[in-house]
Amino acid sequence: MDALGDPTRRAIFEQLRSGSRSVGEIAADLPVSRPAVSQHLRVLKEAGLVTERRNGTRRLYRLDPNGLGELRRYVEEYWTQALAAFKEEAERERRAS
Amino acid sequence: MSTQAQDLTVRKSVVVACAPEHAFETFTARIYDWWPFASHSLSRQPESATFEPRVGGRVYEVGPDGKEHEWATVLAWEPPTRFVVDWHVSEGQPSTELEVRFLPEGDGTRVELEHRGWERYGDEAAEARAGYESGWDVVLAPFVNATD
Repeated sequence: MDALGDPTRRAIFEQLRSGSRSVGEIAADLPVSRPAVSQHLRVLKEAGLVTERRNGTRRLYRLDPNGLGELRRYVEEYWTQALAAFKEEAERERRAS
Repeated sequence: MSTQAQDLTVRKSVVVACAPEHAFETFTARIYDWWPFASHSLSRQPESATFEPRVGGRVYEVGPDGKEHEWATVLAWEPPTRFVVDWHVSEGQPSTELEVRFLPEGDGTRVELEHRGWERYGDEAAEARAGYESGWDVVLAPFVNATD
């Protein structure tokens, strides 16, 4: 399975960046059927990229803040630590060797 | 690059009080002197770490057991301005791309780091979740290798 390798799924992912949407709203902007959108959403959900919630009778989909956001947080922290160590070394007065 | 890939790109920048040449050399040739190996390496206490200064060059550590672990290969090499590497420190995981730029700023240097290509990890997370229900932790364990 290639969660973001499919152009339709990338388009859906892109739409959800601006906020929650229903299947119907997503399908309205795409040249695919609602069942097809639902199928793509299932793949995105399984990949941990998208979550759903109920709003009255509607199901709304949005990006999962714990998905790639979590990965991003790890990487940010990784480089924050590495760059702090780098800065210290780069600014250390060069000692006679 | 598509927009969502842009969105997942990690960007960091730090200003250091030295010339770009010195910053570039410290970051690359002298990586062994500053890299936080205890938390950011595969063998934790490597014997050496090498940044081969040319396109196609390798970035790797040599563990206490003499085993080499490759971190990256150099895609662009333009001292003292920038370098780009294909970053594949986690074996079996998709590779990502790391670019570091060294820009003069006042008497110092702004070091801008961009780590991109994380959308490739979407699939890995899905597999990890299906198997272990712990998602990113499993995917990232070999990459982050956090201290206990």
